Amino acid sequence: MFNIHLIRRQIAGSLHQSVMLVLCIILSMITLVSLGGFRRSVHASFLRDARALHAADIIIHSHVPFSGGLLNALNALEQQKSIEKAYIYEFYSVVQTDRNTRSNSFRSEKKDVPMRPRRQLHQETAEVWSMQTDHRPDTFENQQSLLSDIKVVDLGYPFYGDLELASGSPFNKVLTRGSIVVEQSLLDRLQLKLGDSLRVGSARLTIRDVVLQEPDRPVNFFALGPRVFIASADLPSLDLIGKGSRVDYTILIKVLETAELERIAGQLQAASDKERERVETYRTADSGVKRFFNNFLFFLNLIGIFTLLLAGIGIQSSLSAFLKEQEKTIAIMKAVGSRNRFIIIHYFLVVAVLGLVGTLFGLTASFFIEKIFPDLFRGLIPSNVELTISMGAVTEGCIISSFVVTLFTLLPLYRLKEVKPRSIFGKEDHHPARSPATWFTGSAITIFFIMMVLWRIRDLKSGSYFVIGVGLLILISFLCSEGILRLTSRLQSKNLILRQSLKGLFRPGNATSPIIVTLTASLTFIFTITLVEKNLDVTFVQSYPPDAPNLYFIDIQPDQKDAFARILDIPATYYPIIRGIITAVNNDPIDRDAERQKRGDNLAREFNITYRDGLLSDERIVAGKTLFHDDWSDMQVSVLDTVVKMRDMKIGDTITFRIQGIPIKARISSIRTRTRASLQPYFYFVFPERVLKNAPQTVFTAVRVDKKQIALLQNRIVARFPNVSVIDVTETVKVFARVMERLTLIVRFFTLFSVAAGILILISSVFATRHTRIQEAVYFTILGARSRFVLSVFAVENFLIGLESGLIAIALSEVGSWIICRHALDVPYNPFVGISLVMIIIPIGLVIAVGLGASLSIVRQRPAAFLREQTEE
Amino acid sequence: MAILEANNISKTYTIGNQRIMVLIDVSLSVARGEFLVVEGESGSGKSTLLSILSGLDTIDKGRVLIEGKDITNLPEDELAPLRNTAFGFVFQSFHLVPSLTALENIMFPAELRGDRLAREKAEILLRRVGLFERALSFPHQLSGGEKQRCAICRALVNEPRIIFADEPTGNLDSTNGKAVLNLLLELHRERMTTLVLVTHNQEIAGKADRIVTLRDGIIDTSIANV
Repeated sequence: MFNIHLIRRQIAGSLHQSVMLVLCIILSMITLVSLGGFRRSVHASFLRDARALHAADIIIHSHVPFSGGLLNALNALEQQKSIEKAYIYEFYSVVQTDRNTRSNSFRSEKKDVPMRPRRQLHQETAEVWSMQTDHRPDTFENQQSLLSDIKVVDLGYPFYGDLELASGSPFNKVLTRGSIVVEQSLLDRLQLKLGDSLRVGSARLTIRDVVLQEPDRPVNFFALGPRVFIASADLPSLDLIGKGSRVDYTILIKVLETAELERIAGQLQAASDKERERVETYRTADSGVKRFFNNFLFFLNLIGIFTLLLAGIGIQSSLSAFLKEQEKTIAIMKAVGSRNRFIIIHYFLVVAVLGLVGTLFGLTASFFIEKIFPDLFRGLIPSNVELTISMGAVTEGCIISSFVVTLFTLLPLYRLKEVKPRSIFGKEDHHPARSPATWFTGSAITIFFIMMVLWRIRDLKSGSYFVIGVGLLILISFLCSEGILRLTSRLQSKNLILRQSLKGLFRPGNATSPIIVTLTASLTFIFTITLVEKNLDVTFVQSYPPDAPNLYFIDIQPDQKDAFARILDIPATYYPIIRGIITAVNNDPIDRDAERQKRGDNLAREFNITYRDGLLSDERIVAGKTLFHDDWSDMQVSVLDTVVKMRDMKIGDTITFRIQGIPIKARISSIRTRTRASLQPYFYFVFPERVLKNAPQTVFTAVRVDKKQIALLQNRIVARFPNVSVIDVTETVKVFARVMERLTLIVRFFTLFSVAAGILILISSVFATRHTRIQEAVYFTILGARSRFVLSVFAVENFLIGLESGLIAIALSEVGSWIICRHALDVPYNPFVGISLVMIIIPIGLVIAVGLGASLSIVRQRPAAFLREQTEE
Repeated sequence: MAILEANNISKTYTIGNQRIMVLIDVSLSVARGEFLVVEGESGSGKSTLLSILSGLDTIDKGRVLIEGKDITNLPEDELAPLRNTAFGFVFQSFHLVPSLTALENIMFPAELRGDRLAREKAEILLRRVGLFERALSFPHQLSGGEKQRCAICRALVNEPRIIFADEPTGNLDSTNGKAVLNLLLELHRERMTTLVLVTHNQEIAGKADRIVTLRDGIIDTSIANV
């Protein structure tokens, strides 16, 4: 017979431990539900609004004008009235204000010039991704200019989703020939208003409205400039796109008969040039935002699983403390004839009651935490994403949480079998050995977490790395902790407080090692993130190399080069750029779909290829003796080490390119590396000059310009060469820093749950040893110790725990962030000794405060009351 | 002048809704060097009286004076040095610090007062009680008799003026009990310390200078042994 009143009284009797257990369950629920809810909300919005997010049923992308075959197929379908289509052209260009200027004097050096596609521009600006900048407009005489994100659209765009204008008018009615629609930030920066005109390329266009939201650009977080919509009827007058122009070309297609979607998509796919044109339906299409969230959720999932693991340890630790207090009751129950089965089920019910309470509070807390998310993710979340906690997230959270609670309570409950009736007499002093039950539950927990990782991450390779990484982190933390504790146990101090504190670390039942391991693991996570962020900040932002170029000029035409150099009037290196794609490596064709699935860079994208016969100042060869080999008769190419990281390649391997439609097969002659911190332009693929000298190309240069001169120079260049994009890299880098800061904030926010789990384990450990601590405190008091002495002993003990955790964590973090900085990011490493010391001090203070907070009630115990209880027992 | 005085002390415990009067208007005076036995049946309040006299527990009414100084309302932190230097405690359940060795347990009160000779004094006492060989043993490695001998050493290390002993032989077999009692009495005589001992063992009571009998929280009799 199970007595609910007894369960209630037992919970009330061990209130501290019960609260700790509930808090750990709350933590696991928060981790599961709030993260799960966030993940589901984002995925749901991408799924629900997939068509609106792409503004079409079928989307076709290309970096070059579409092939004849595809256009024929499209025309045929249009004639059959199966589809409607709209062309989109996207590129960056510098726009200029038109106030008080000589409209006729605005002329370009060359009209038929190529432009940079938006995505490629991102890759070229030192692979720096960025959100919308807030840098001030640049002035030249009475003009102002601003790098803008141009989108030229056909009538009919968007087929799905709403393009919201400030006026509330329909987009297609507003965006007519001669009109443009811009983002508010453009008006603010250029100090313009509706009705003013703006120069884009060679055209003078009137600003008619302000765009509030675009269906197919849910966030503008990563844009280098504000959006400008232009009607396709004005495209020729811009004089920005012509033969060889480099633009993001898109065709949006509305399928008039929904059931025909897949058939038509298949038909277009078959007609397309698969190496250049990507045909996708709204169901399969990827987007930058979606990719960003996939990557980000991947990372948050890792933190979530890590926190769940720590919360599980906390559950086990606090239940052990709870059951320790119940030992006498259990012994009495056994003495009066209760079987182990009855006792285990009874305490399982106790856990179930506490689990229910924890689940309810955890759900409530998750709803509150979800309210913080919009602020936390401001600018990163598409506005159509409704952050709600769905029933699915709640159900999933409850099921997984129940699993976690069951797994981590299994062992303490099973060990109730080991409590003997003779414990009534206080004779029991059992130290549970590592029994088969321990190995069984340990294995079950490991398998569960591996499955969680694989389920959540859905990537065997990354999942394995994570499992191995966490395993190694815990193992190293454990070995360091055990090693230091072993050394500590041999320390002989003359200071009584220190000596007593050292003894306290080895108090029976003190979970010193698990606490240190848990704190170390979670602190290592936070410290590493902080150190990497600081290193990136100091490398790219604070100490932007004084000699590094800060102004990039993209899309200079070869025949503009001399005139451009005269206007620029600064010695500069001009890099020829030829665009090309890779079709095969060692005759193995590139699987473009598989490549695009990769989290990092991939071989399916279009590359900027250059030619030269020497190394740049920041480059060195890591494989192959020279850049090119005179004794090789084959075509040669030198690759950057980054390429080798994308796919295993070595000297002599062949890469087949398609450059300007011509297949070129080249052998890898050398592998280069570069100093990434130098911020000099770099190229993945370098050919000998003779190979590509005559290929159609553009020219790129980067110079160092005094900050005050940037605006003038930019205006001067854009006035003469409107096709040339000018990018102020220092501003981009500042934006990059802000993005880093925001992402770090989010990561820290979620990592704090791991720290909270560590703290809960610490508190439950204090409670688990409460009796022994009270005993010590009372004995010290009886023997004449003041409360300050007792508190000092506990404080120093906690200080030692915090110090050891902090020291191991900072050591591991220094090594980890050094590896990340030097080998993954290739930036100089600074150990940030001062910040590291502060990072150690914070957890020490936290551990002391928490430990003392939990010990205060112990110190306040009257000696006589305790002695009386002892005697009564 | 009495080394220890209790004037009209009363103590009540509240258990649930029930108030239990443990001591009622108890007055007592102990002379310097005296061996006083407090006896009485279980629940008569003798351990409570010992706790109050030694400043381990508070009282509801009355005063406790040590060498004429009123300690009744002294805060814990002022009582601590008094317990450290003036008192020594021996308990039925020994109450040795489990994480300290026998030697460390004995040294502890001396170290607390900053005595640089703590170790030497502890070793002398260990030799005196025949426990030197077990100096590095932890309490759980000692027998009951050894634990109590260790506890006596700890009580004496600071050369206290009063030793409070609560049923010191209660957890020991008769042979060990006798040995421990004899040791305690020997040391009491050697060092001229005042000994206040709570027991219900008539044999021990027979060796006291004076016997105070408690019955239901009231001093029933106070008899001097001639």
